[in-house]
Amino acid sequence: MSDQEALEELRVGVFVCHCGLNIAGTVDVHAVAEYAKTLPDVVFVKENRYTCSDPGQEEIRKAIKQNNLNRIVIAACSPRMHEPTFRRTVAEAGLNSFLYEMANIREFSSWCHQNSPQEATERAKDAVNMAVAKVRLMQPLQTLEVPVTNKALIIGGGIAGISAALDLAEQNFKVYLLENSQSIGGYMAALDKTFPTLDCSICIEGPKMVDCARHPNITIFAHSDLVKVDGYVGNFKVKIRKNPRYVIAEKCTGCGECKDVCPIEYPNEWDLNLGTRKAISVPFDQAVPLVYAINRDYCIECYKCTEKCGERQAIDFDQKPEDVEIDVGAIIVSTGYDIYEPYDMPLLGYGKYPNVITSMEFERLILAAGPTGGKVIRQSDGQKPHKIAFILCVGSRDKNKYPYCSNYCCMYTLKHVVQLKEKYQQDVEVYVFYMDIRSSGKGYEEFYDRARERGVNFIRGRVSRIDEDLKNHNLIVHSEDSLLGNPIEIEADMVVLATASVPKKGSDDLARILNVSRGQDGFFMEAHPKLKPLDAPTDGIFYAGACVGLKDIPYSASQGSGAASRASAVISKSKWKIEPIISVIDKSKCKSCGKCVDKCPYSAIKHEKGNPAKIIAASCHGCGICVVECPFHAITQMHFTDAQIMAQIHAALQDKPEEKILAFLCNWCSYAGADLAGTSRCEYPASVRVIRVMCSGRVSKEFILEALRLGAGMVMIGACHLPYDCHYINGNHRMKARTDNLKSRLTELGMSPERFRVEYVSAAEGIHYAELIKEIDQQRKALGTQIKEETEKLKPELERMLKVKP
Amino acid sequence: MPYKSSKQDLPNALTLEWALQVKNYKLTLDKQRCVGCQICCLACPKEAVSVEKQKTDEKVSKLKVDIDLAKCNFCGICDVTCPYGAIKVTVNGVHNLALIAKESYPKINRIITLDAKECPKDCSECEAACPLKLIKVSKIGFDGKPIKNINELSPTEKRRIKVNVDIQKDYCPTCKICEDRCPPKTLKVTKIFEGNITIDPDKCLSGCHYCVDVCPISGVMVVNVDGKVDIVKSYCTYCGACKIVCPVEEALTVRRVKVAHEHVRSGAWNRALERLTSKADEVKVLKAVASLKKRDIVIKRLRDEVNR
Repeated sequence: MSDQEALEELRVGVFVCHCGLNIAGTVDVHAVAEYAKTLPDVVFVKENRYTCSDPGQEEIRKAIKQNNLNRIVIAACSPRMHEPTFRRTVAEAGLNSFLYEMANIREFSSWCHQNSPQEATERAKDAVNMAVAKVRLMQPLQTLEVPVTNKALIIGGGIAGISAALDLAEQNFKVYLLENSQSIGGYMAALDKTFPTLDCSICIEGPKMVDCARHPNITIFAHSDLVKVDGYVGNFKVKIRKNPRYVIAEKCTGCGECKDVCPIEYPNEWDLNLGTRKAISVPFDQAVPLVYAINRDYCIECYKCTEKCGERQAIDFDQKPEDVEIDVGAIIVSTGYDIYEPYDMPLLGYGKYPNVITSMEFERLILAAGPTGGKVIRQSDGQKPHKIAFILCVGSRDKNKYPYCSNYCCMYTLKHVVQLKEKYQQDVEVYVFYMDIRSSGKGYEEFYDRARERGVNFIRGRVSRIDEDLKNHNLIVHSEDSLLGNPIEIEADMVVLATASVPKKGSDDLARILNVSRGQDGFFMEAHPKLKPLDAPTDGIFYAGACVGLKDIPYSASQGSGAASRASAVISKSKWKIEPIISVIDKSKCKSCGKCVDKCPYSAIKHEKGNPAKIIAASCHGCGICVVECPFHAITQMHFTDAQIMAQIHAALQDKPEEKILAFLCNWCSYAGADLAGTSRCEYPASVRVIRVMCSGRVSKEFILEALRLGAGMVMIGACHLPYDCHYINGNHRMKARTDNLKSRLTELGMSPERFRVEYVSAAEGIHYAELIKEIDQQRKALGTQIKEETEKLKPELERMLKVKP
Repeated sequence: MPYKSSKQDLPNALTLEWALQVKNYKLTLDKQRCVGCQICCLACPKEAVSVEKQKTDEKVSKLKVDIDLAKCNFCGICDVTCPYGAIKVTVNGVHNLALIAKESYPKINRIITLDAKECPKDCSECEAACPLKLIKVSKIGFDGKPIKNINELSPTEKRRIKVNVDIQKDYCPTCKICEDRCPPKTLKVTKIFEGNITIDPDKCLSGCHYCVDVCPISGVMVVNVDGKVDIVKSYCTYCGACKIVCPVEEALTVRRVKVAHEHVRSGAWNRALERLTSKADEVKVLKAVASLKKRDIVIKRLRDEVNR
């Protein structure tokens, strides 16, 4: 802090937003505004109906200029919502965009305390007080710029990934398309027809796959794994492992002569193991890239293929996995989904009765290029079934399995029944057991009508059990006809289960490699479900297709194009701006011990013995873990300095501290979870005061001790779930290691153990957060006057620990 | 759906199965024919076959063969190689191995020739001799009816008898006992394996006759007066079942040097051969064959020179 800045007169402006009636309906905004006027250095207070609207922003700009304001507090919604908006507004008025702070009085006040407006108003006032206290200590920060690599990586070559790759390649960006299996195409390439138009799936996807292979800007890494991703937006360093095919891709012409001489067959996973493939083969005829591969698990190494390949010399049994390193500016994740296999639902008999199959298996049976040549046959006797029952919502919409709706099962089952009826006419009788038919989409409801006109029997009811007739392997389906209220029993030759779709296997590993989070259902979490549906919380990473949530083909394809457009917004730039919320080292205080180096989750700190440690700004993610770990207080996190947070603690506990719960919430999980409690209108006690930190790893021992010294009723740290949810890799682990000791020490000194809690709340757990605060508040009430007594008793020891003079 | 793969261990047979919607792969190990010789273990390219010693209180019994369902790829190499024909691999119930059709593995030759016309009309020595009961001799009269008692027939009728010798070749380990016992020497058998078998009389434990117990060919192993074992080499099939149960190291050695097979070019076969035969001995045999050939060539040339 230079002398000039220190001497500058502080002129704080406070803007209180009504948000229509969203805030003003509960919180007494006038009282908040009046209260703001009494706060130190506040020279201007204004109420807005909608601060985020254009006129609202204009008022801020005008007020800054007219009243010469140099610090701004906006009391409105969550900073996770509009912080970037107002940063721009402030910057447009000529002020440094980091000289403003938001007070969250909507998600954290009006929305979650609708039944207690008075307490809500009190909480809003404290929020403004805390924001003013912090903003008075804020310093202007300069945004950093880093160069951008104009290339993109797409993980997953399904229809979403293919669409994204082609769109980016057409815009002249270099694209790497990474696919785990031997061919791109995804599930769409395995389907027979698509609904509601009934056009052949591979016929429409095949040309796009070939386009990908031919495009000069696209490099396909099929049969490869993602090993490591380092770096940051615009500058990702990616390590890819090309698994050996034992066939040299450049030399293989795809003629297939090797396949003909191979004596070994094994179950083809592409056909869902209904049929077989050779030990040297491609998964399906239209595979892209058309390069054969040897499955060494089954190959007996007779070298007949090598002999047949002859002079082409494409077969190389000594091939080893090969690691490739590429630089990209943006990453699109389009890893798709998996199909649930209902082995753990024994009442349906899947895996036990040969004639119970899943819809995906049915898809391969009815496909002309499938293992049976398009004949629907039973496994038990190879005969054509005459009575087929389809069961919807197997695993989906089931609280014991997957509570969500899998989106497209209704439609593909309708497609299957229409296909059956059109293929076999009166020769086949079809029953569909459904809960609801969900056909919202262009032409979907009309398609439903088409199925009904074909004479398909729709029975509304959940199937309770399937039994098998041991003699002829026919199946007896027990259900209830909920429209008639009767139990119903149907003997069918074949049962097709429309099973749930589930997050792709390996999503957890991928989330760890990319440092992104997943929701409770296991799908990836977008930065904002409505307004940033294609963005990951990490800059430069985008999502497309079913990896975020289940969607059908047209939706996935359009998301691919959408993600391509989002990615090109990054890689079309030559420079990318980085938030200056990073850590800096005070060289004069650094004793060069090197402790911070190991603690940084991003290895952003470099240290040579004898010299002060250095932070690489572009690698620093701004978690603030190093700040706490430094034994000499030599590191400061910009925008979240010790002094600023201490000021917030003091402001929060100014009045009746024993009645308050002071909560330190990490920005990515628990703060977002608390936001969700607000957006979901979960009521909880208004005694909580929240201090936002980027990571729970930023919360130092001093903050806790100071809060207790000031007499805070309860203190809580909210973090991401252990072990892997932390946005900064391991900040929650660091925090836990620190607080475990602290808690036992404080308990020894005579503090009631429930007064200091460490809780794990994810961004999806709004209800959990509300319940938690209720519980803590009850404990606070139960302790009653004991809190004050404990504070008096602990004070001297706390002061000694904090080295404060009494 | 992961295909339904199953394994059943019945008292008489071990079966492995892959049941797919369109194909059914099945491997059956006939436990009665199996002698626990380990040939399949050596031949298997996937190391799926293992043997374990069965624990019985008094007598040593043959080894138990187990096949790992996770490793087995139903290629059929064990089927082809088993000298006792104990393993069968079928696809959709048909025993027709792609391995042989595509020449990825050779047919193992069991050359057994017999001219039944030469057979004496009242002889059934081979049937009696076969230790595995694989030969059935039947006699048919001029009226086409099988003959029950040959002694009741008149000499004329005897002359007109047709003799049929039915040999179950697939299960024959080619011990050659039948050839030896055949009085007119019309039956000719070529062995599958050629090799060496020796017992070190100093190391052989007196009174232990584990090898005699497991040897499926009665007459190969003989217990002599001092309680030790002697071997009749010419009947040995070189399967090695005895070697595995022998409790003393190096007391018994079995080495295969040659396998009778059809000619193929196959890496799988080369590796199997390497495991099945003793390399050093094989080299010796090959060298001997090569020098014989050389000698023939030289002789032929010299003869040509002389003739000219």
